[in-house]
Amino acid sequence: MEWDLVAFIAFSALELVAAVLVVTSKRLVHSVFWLSVTLVTIGAIYILLRAEFIGLVQIVVYAGAVPILFLFGIMLTRRKIMEEPHEAE
Amino acid sequence: MSGHLIDLYGLCEGLITFVNGLVGRIMTGVAGGIETIGIAPPGAGAPLRDQAALMNSPWVIGLIAWLTAIQIMILWGTAINLLLMMWMERKFYSRLQDRVGIKIGLTSMDFLARLPIIGGLFTNFVKRPSHLGTGFLQNVADGVKMVQKENLTPAKADAFTFHAAPVLIAASTLLIFAALPFSEGFTIMQSPNPFGVLFMLAAFGLAPIGILIAGWSSNNKYTLIGGMRSAAMLMSYEIPMILSIISVVVLMGSLDPFEIVRTQSEPISASIPALGFLANPAALDGIYFPNWNVFTAFPAFLVFAVAILAEQERIPFDLPEAEAELVEGWLTEYSGMRFGLVFGFKWLRGLAGSGLLVILFLGGWTGPHLTLPLGGFSLPLPFQELWFMVKVYLVFMVYVWISWSFPRIRIDQILNIGWKVLIPIALLAIFLSISLRAFGVYH
Repeated sequence: MEWDLVAFIAFSALELVAAVLVVTSKRLVHSVFWLSVTLVTIGAIYILLRAEFIGLVQIVVYAGAVPILFLFGIMLTRRKIMEEPHEAE
Repeated sequence: MSGHLIDLYGLCEGLITFVNGLVGRIMTGVAGGIETIGIAPPGAGAPLRDQAALMNSPWVIGLIAWLTAIQIMILWGTAINLLLMMWMERKFYSRLQDRVGIKIGLTSMDFLARLPIIGGLFTNFVKRPSHLGTGFLQNVADGVKMVQKENLTPAKADAFTFHAAPVLIAASTLLIFAALPFSEGFTIMQSPNPFGVLFMLAAFGLAPIGILIAGWSSNNKYTLIGGMRSAAMLMSYEIPMILSIISVVVLMGSLDPFEIVRTQSEPISASIPALGFLANPAALDGIYFPNWNVFTAFPAFLVFAVAILAEQERIPFDLPEAEAELVEGWLTEYSGMRFGLVFGFKWLRGLAGSGLLVILFLGGWTGPHLTLPLGGFSLPLPFQELWFMVKVYLVFMVYVWISWSFPRIRIDQILNIGWKVLIPIALLAIFLSISLRAFGVYH
């Protein structure tokens, strides 16, 4: 059995699930969390494909920039800290 | 010059080979036994023999050896170093404040004086048993208290992200230790590790996500403000940190921590011929002026040290959890061991940051040592692990000293220092390093 393939399938499945959850999550912050999972798993797949440098740079640059998105998500969208979707005006 | 005492993976592999070989031998013995005694038909022991053969196959031994090595690294990092660093910090700042600090230790335990024979040695301790120890058990007691406490979830909190955030913070902190070598042998990622420094930076960069999620999901204005401040600070200090590493990488020509340390262990006159007068051929063997980056890239060292201080959220930069303003910052709503985890792992990030500083600027685990021949085994003294830990603890003590001597600075000052002071100095350091290389001063 090829363990590279198993790891690749596991990471890809995680990445696809997280990518679907990015668009289907009701709360913006959940989307940002799943986006960070997606970006880190893409980095892991790069490392699996023997491209260690680009994988680590992917994690440093993209996953490192997620907090910025997070800040925008908090500061520019809702007035309250946390609000149920059905309670929104 | 191999001066390490422990080869972590080799040790684990030997241990697992021994244990698996023993168990496999017992299983084949049992398989042969039940066939010869006659309680089972011939061939009934085949599954046991197959199992024994599987257990002794190279990939099973390799897998279990890797898992054991990772476990030992995690235990060494958390259980030993975390407790030791918290103890050292508490004792040290207590001395700075002219008091003795925590004192509950093994010798202050009441039952020792009541033991039948050796109890007489501890008789005096009975009167004030909590005042005569070394204080090392105080942190253990705090940890036990935290484990016992209820793990509360605030009613309006976002339960999923609230519980995911400590896991993210703990996992990203432990990930640093996958690439952080304590010596040439005591490491998870083995010697040619071409992107080790980059790996540690990537793991450092994942922590702000967990901190922001923790701050947001508690649904509390204090935690949200703390998380926002923490993200703003960590983001703005990550940039000078990475820029200051660039100047080291320019000088060393590598991102491999082993290569960086090996280059730093050489005499400085080997890299800078102009400093040849520092070379002393008549000196003792192994004692010379080393090529540490702290000498050749001093501005980068300053920037990196300040950035690591901010990365730990220690007192001059502890705005994210300013007690007087924001209860406990982004970890206000956590209780029980989750609080212990996110609170204690700041020390672990401090350890990892100090370790990175020592590897990049202070020569890592190299230092003058004797080699004692002990039978067929030559024991280096002090061995590499000892040099590394002494340097790391000294750097950490300097951080403790700074953080208990200075007042907290304001958010605008923090961002001004980060963007207007540290980044220009880091760029200047890169310019200096490139000039040293370009004009042939540094080989």
